[in-house]
Amino acid sequence: MNTQAKSTALSVDLNSFIYGVSRRNFQNAPDLTKIGITLLKNFPAARDAVLEYFAMVFHDAVNVSINQADYEPDSSNNGSLESVSMIGPELCSLGESWAPFIAPWCINLIMDIATEKANLPNTTLQNTEAVRVLLDITTQNLTLLKAEERAKCIDMMLGCRACSWAVGWVGRAEPALVAPRALTLSADAARAVLAHLANHPPALFHVRAALVDLFQEAIREDSKVESKRDVIPYLLTLASKSDIVLKALTQDIERTLTDDVMDRLCAVCSTHRHSGPWDGVGPDSLVALLLRSDVHCFLLLLKHAQKNLFCRQLLEYLLQKLEYESLFPDSNLTLVMSAAEEISIIREKLLVGNQLEQYSIARILIIVSYNLPSEFVSTISFLLQYSRSDTTLALLVRIISGTINLHTPADCPDVNMDTERYQGFIKTGVEYALRDAMMADTQVNKCFVKDESFDFKTNLYHYCANIVKLLRWENSNKVSHLRTRPIGCAVEANLYRIGGALQDYASILRVRNACTLASLDEMPTCHALAEVLDRADMSGTRSPPPSVEVILKVVQATVKYFFRCLHEEEIMAKLRGVQTACRLLRKLCLNSKLARAVALRDLLETAMFREDKIFGSKPVVTNTIAAPQKWSHDELLIHMNQKHGPITQLTQSHTSVFHAGIIGKGVRKQGSLDENDIPPILTTNNELLMGALMSCMDGNSGVVEGATAVSLLLVELVSPDVMYNGLPWPDEDFTKQVSIERELYMRCAVERCGVSRAALRRIARARPSLCLASALLRATAASLLHRLRAHLDRHKQSAEMASEMIALTELLSVMTLGQLLPHPLSHILELSPELTANEIVQVLRDCIWNYTRDHVPSPALFSCDSTGLHWRDPSTCKPVATYTDTLRIIIQKRISKLGHMYPIMFLNLEKYNV
Amino acid sequence: MSFSDLKHALRKYDFPVCAKEALTKIEQLLVGRAAPTNKQLDIAMDIISEFVFCETDRRGNRRGLNPLQELQLIDVICHYISACNNDTTKNTIFLSLFGSMESQRKLKILSILASMAVSASSTPVLLAVGVWLQQMGSSSPQSLQLVENVIRDHFYLNTSNQTALKVLAKTAPQFVSNFITAVTELYMHDIQGVKKMPPKNLLEIITSWVYSNPTLCMSAQLNPASLPNGSIPMGAVTPLAGLIHWCALAPLYIDEGTELEELPIKRIKLEDEKFPIIKSVTSRSLTEAELYVKLHLGVLNSLRAGRRTHGPPTAVNAQHLAALTPLVQNYAHQLLKCGIKLQNDTKLQDCLDRIGQSVQVALANGCVYGNISNLLAALDTLPENRLLRIIIKCHQQSI
Repeated sequence: MNTQAKSTALSVDLNSFIYGVSRRNFQNAPDLTKIGITLLKNFPAARDAVLEYFAMVFHDAVNVSINQADYEPDSSNNGSLESVSMIGPELCSLGESWAPFIAPWCINLIMDIATEKANLPNTTLQNTEAVRVLLDITTQNLTLLKAEERAKCIDMMLGCRACSWAVGWVGRAEPALVAPRALTLSADAARAVLAHLANHPPALFHVRAALVDLFQEAIREDSKVESKRDVIPYLLTLASKSDIVLKALTQDIERTLTDDVMDRLCAVCSTHRHSGPWDGVGPDSLVALLLRSDVHCFLLLLKHAQKNLFCRQLLEYLLQKLEYESLFPDSNLTLVMSAAEEISIIREKLLVGNQLEQYSIARILIIVSYNLPSEFVSTISFLLQYSRSDTTLALLVRIISGTINLHTPADCPDVNMDTERYQGFIKTGVEYALRDAMMADTQVNKCFVKDESFDFKTNLYHYCANIVKLLRWENSNKVSHLRTRPIGCAVEANLYRIGGALQDYASILRVRNACTLASLDEMPTCHALAEVLDRADMSGTRSPPPSVEVILKVVQATVKYFFRCLHEEEIMAKLRGVQTACRLLRKLCLNSKLARAVALRDLLETAMFREDKIFGSKPVVTNTIAAPQKWSHDELLIHMNQKHGPITQLTQSHTSVFHAGIIGKGVRKQGSLDENDIPPILTTNNELLMGALMSCMDGNSGVVEGATAVSLLLVELVSPDVMYNGLPWPDEDFTKQVSIERELYMRCAVERCGVSRAALRRIARARPSLCLASALLRATAASLLHRLRAHLDRHKQSAEMASEMIALTELLSVMTLGQLLPHPLSHILELSPELTANEIVQVLRDCIWNYTRDHVPSPALFSCDSTGLHWRDPSTCKPVATYTDTLRIIIQKRISKLGHMYPIMFLNLEKYNV
Repeated sequence: MSFSDLKHALRKYDFPVCAKEALTKIEQLLVGRAAPTNKQLDIAMDIISEFVFCETDRRGNRRGLNPLQELQLIDVICHYISACNNDTTKNTIFLSLFGSMESQRKLKILSILASMAVSASSTPVLLAVGVWLQQMGSSSPQSLQLVENVIRDHFYLNTSNQTALKVLAKTAPQFVSNFITAVTELYMHDIQGVKKMPPKNLLEIITSWVYSNPTLCMSAQLNPASLPNGSIPMGAVTPLAGLIHWCALAPLYIDEGTELEELPIKRIKLEDEKFPIIKSVTSRSLTEAELYVKLHLGVLNSLRAGRRTHGPPTAVNAQHLAALTPLVQNYAHQLLKCGIKLQNDTKLQDCLDRIGQSVQVALANGCVYGNISNLLAALDTLPENRLLRIIIKCHQQSI
């Protein structure tokens, strides 16, 4: 019968179990365990015995696991361990009705094991298989229990000192239950429990909730006096022992310690501060706690330090402690680390806070910067960008010098070992700030989107303003912190970038996206950048001289800036900008020939070709630019010229140009004011440009060298080809036959460009530079010679004639100024207005052309005197009669009119001859 | 053999064996033609205390058994009882082992023994326990404690033994009868709003017992236990009155709403646990309300079987039945408070109907002893019910 068989089986099981157990040997543990599990299921009343046997198995398994680590690596076939792995799932899956038996059994067993192995490290114990299984069983069964039974079980565990780790572990299933209970224990016990509990992240929330609840409970107005007195010191002691508690307490501290809470807390504190439990939590321990807390606590402390004296003292104490602690090389203060993490909040506070906040934050930033160079760099960068007042800039200075000298004794010499390293950081900071400011300028700014029109400046402008201010402080020599010129050096190391920035901003082709700061007028920024450059030292005396790339970059930028300044409407701004540019150029060119060459070329090229409009220059070949007109057949020059008869038949003749007009422009119009009037030389812009040119040529022999360079440049820029640009003047006929088109072009180009004419004049003064522009003079002279000859008969008083005369005057004055025409010839200038065209042609050919042809205008003619001045001694270079006879005859012929010149020109000459 | 010799002989053995030997010695001491003398009884008690339950050692110090030893002891007792052929001997030894119930430890061992007997369907032990229950009184605290332990073991902890349990009604009816009597005391209480109801599987088993064995309820009375010489047999109380209570009150106490949903056991998922892919389809089991209906029918059948051919009725105590009335009245008062008409409340009417049916069948079969007129008067105070009214009127006339 079934029941009979079952009954027999049960009693067999029971017998073998009892027999096996009484042998107290764990070799057959798996078999016995199997029987035990069967018994447990079929014979629940035997549970006490079975569970007791299981407990023995667990004890044995723990022993085996602990000892196995020492000598027996492979004992997977140990009976107890095997049994444990069988028991685990069984006891876990017994169900709700078993939980009230299993849970207390587990807890008692854990407590027994923990107490027995109290001398072992917790982790060893926790890592044993048996304990893990046991903890699993406990957790599983605890969840199945009813609330009050569960609480009872947990209380049971909390009562045992040795197994706080187990509470922590098991409590993970019920953190809401365990956490508040743990807090009723002594600080040490609670610490242990919470530490284990907090290994489980979801439990952290409950730990925090329990702590905050306890705290709120304690400061409630109607709470008991004892709890008011004891809880806060307890919490503080606990926090001082447990990072987890501290973290839980300080998380979202602003929300926990609202103003309202603070008021009540203050009341509690003032009542109980002198009672016994509070002894252990004096300022010392508070500061130790704060050192381990995060930066929000610090900010909160700062906030309350405004009103509360104790907070203020605490703050000062804390800061001193921090400064002291960071003396040690491997100090790893949580507060500092947290400040580094939340550095953006802190910096923001530095800008907007009140005085106490600013100073305190500066101090903490110093410590952060000292520990983390990257934060040092970013702090510098941040303040350079966003500082808008002297106060914050002063804080920057304080932070920089504070970081460098944090632990330098006061009597130490200025330069300490790290200066170089820190200088590198400052340089990087300045660089980052520049980069970030430029990037920020290109970002869409909400003030534009909202269309609020304020007086905005670009970020770069503010950055420059800050740098300038710092440099000014530095140069005043009144700020001891800046004696080593940290900012100056950093700026000098960043010249390339600053130059690049200026170049960018001064560029007309700059991208200006709508709604970004870049869409603003860039000139203020350019001025600011120029001022920074202006204040930087590039002489190489106080810092290493700038490299070639830097110089080139800055020169190019400066030239660009110079021309942008010329466009300024407001005259003072314009002048000031030009002045700055000139100063910069002077500074750059003083020590670098390269800079001078580049600057001159850039200035001239730009002035002559790109920015010619502002100098009043006209395009060199007008008809190539003017739109072709619709001419009627009769008006076309080619047809009109055909009417002139046989001369015009000569296809190679120049008369087509000379007689009837200019191709593409039709017949010359008599007396009309041509739009191709020669532009004036003496304009503001021209003068400013000349000033700029001159400022490139400062220094001893600078002017001559510079002028030489300019004249070479002029030739290069004006002359259409590379041939025939030499110094000698050929035979007059040669020009007629070969180079007249070229000469005409060159004259036209020079004439229409006020810049080149003004430049020629300047060159003429810096003898012997003019010699090198001989090709230009020759072109004018040749074209004058031919044109005047053509004018001889017909257009005596025509506009062309007038302009030819002006050109002549100019040529003569330049040559005279450059001492290319010695004494008697130099007075042709005065004679020329009175001469007829015919006479002028004679004079030009005989006196000027021939003389110059025979006396090649070369620097060799000029001797250098003791003062370094080049000049031609009039006494040694008297032209022979061949060149002066024409003049003499003309004067004699027209003695009535020109007689007054004769003695000046010839009599003295005679006297010298005597 | 003198007492000290006896002890010396027993002390040669270690624990499980000494208990076994002790039992034989006690049998020799207590079972005989005549009732044992007081001295013999004292010696027997001494031996039991020292060698069976190990409550004291030879110097009289207290000691005890650990759970494993308890199990060994139980095994020994079980073997002894099973091996014992004579009912009287068996009962004598059993009652002397567990009869004096001052010791909680002994009660615990007895509980385990009883539970084991149920597990193993060990009829001799169960019958002995049945006698013990009857002698202690089915509603005595000790009995209730024992029964509670058995219920916990077999209806809460081990729920897989239902078929084995059903057979018990056939093999050990005296035990089952006394067991049910005690169980009816434990449940169907309403203590301050918290209703203590029997677990469903217990109800199922009891229903099945009563329904399929009409004579079961009377079996304890019908088969008087063989007791040792000179002892006073205690009258067995049938479970019928208690079951009538259950059936009558069930409509009032069952909340239909909560009954059907069976909460799944909440558990933490274990790592390599496999859930059955196919859920076993179970035939729909009866709801509790239906079980009570079935139980009610079973009780009525049992009442009919409870008619005694000779002698006074012993099945149902009139006073016991009359104790129903305050409970029902209480419920009726609550209804009135809520403003519900008593005639319209089906639960109440159902309850009154069942009371009426039970009383009618019991009275008609002459199963009721005690003051029947008091019973009728008490029933008369119940709320209006047609069947009840007819029954009361009919029987009041007949008295």
